[in-house]
Amino acid sequence: MWPPPFRDFFVWASTLPGSQYLREDAPSFFGTFLTVHVLSMCLFLGLVLMMDLRLLGVAHLHTPVSQIQRRLFPWQLLGAIVMSISGLVLLYAQPVLYWGKGFFWVKMLIALPLAMANLMLFHFTTYRSVSRWDTAPKPPFAARVAGGLSIVLWVTVLCFGRLVAYDWWTIVENVS
Amino acid sequence: MLLSFFRWMEGLAVYRSSIYLGPGVNLVHLVSMCTFMGALLMVDLRLLGAGLTTQPVRSVARGAQPWLIGGFIGLVVTGIPAMMATATMQYASKVFWFKMYVLAAALLLTFTVRWKLTRQEDSIRNQPLAKAVALLSIVLWMTVAAGGRLIMYL
Repeated sequence: MWPPPFRDFFVWASTLPGSQYLREDAPSFFGTFLTVHVLSMCLFLGLVLMMDLRLLGVAHLHTPVSQIQRRLFPWQLLGAIVMSISGLVLLYAQPVLYWGKGFFWVKMLIALPLAMANLMLFHFTTYRSVSRWDTAPKPPFAARVAGGLSIVLWVTVLCFGRLVAYDWWTIVENVS
Repeated sequence: MLLSFFRWMEGLAVYRSSIYLGPGVNLVHLVSMCTFMGALLMVDLRLLGAGLTTQPVRSVARGAQPWLIGGFIGLVVTGIPAMMATATMQYASKVFWFKMYVLAAALLLTFTVRWKLTRQEDSIRNQPLAKAVALLSIVLWMTVAAGGRLIMYL
């Protein structure tokens, strides 16, 4: 599994129109898109954490769970969309760099899918009965587990994303 | 004078004990930032007439407050050593000072006008003022976050 597979694909992607331009001839591109990625993360992860803390029964106890879920969702979605687009553009500009980053693969193939699976599982099982515990300061056990897992998994996604910047677990290749 | 203070801070080499200290402090800084921003934005959105509109502003603000304060403490406790480790670079960086000035303005807004507005009954609040303050709060704190990210790139 290491070095990772699909090297040719990532090398090919680095020759696509725009990729080389962003990588070599747009000096302010990286800092700008990284900043957009971080600011949209503040919106997405910030509001997800607030929702998770309510599910854990430790914050916003006067607000019904369904209100927090429904009313914060459009803003979490907005954050997620901007975060995904900026992340994809960052990847598009330096595919071979990210191909050679162990933390990038762990973030994308393990942490992110687990965080999404937890979210979907909660939404389609435990959350269906929300009307029965909507105003309870302490939601049922399954909801508290989903909230706790969500914090752990999304923070893991954040940490692996940030660790990509360091030179640990990295294959350095010069492709231009 | 100020420069020698920054040189002294860098000389302390706060990260010398482990190569994991710098990245670790950085990760805690980011998690604190997300906690802080979540607590900030849900109240600012409410002041703007979005988000948790079925709840009184006071109730949303009271629920968010411990996480706003806690997140901020986490940011300061991790931000100071991160700055000390590269103090002379920070001193020379225009973006660092810009971030500090905007931070001062953001703190002033948050703990004066915004503090008062979020503790009022909904019926007596000056709505245009509340919206202006919420918008300014979002812009100032997002600028602080962007400044922190851009110190390395500008």
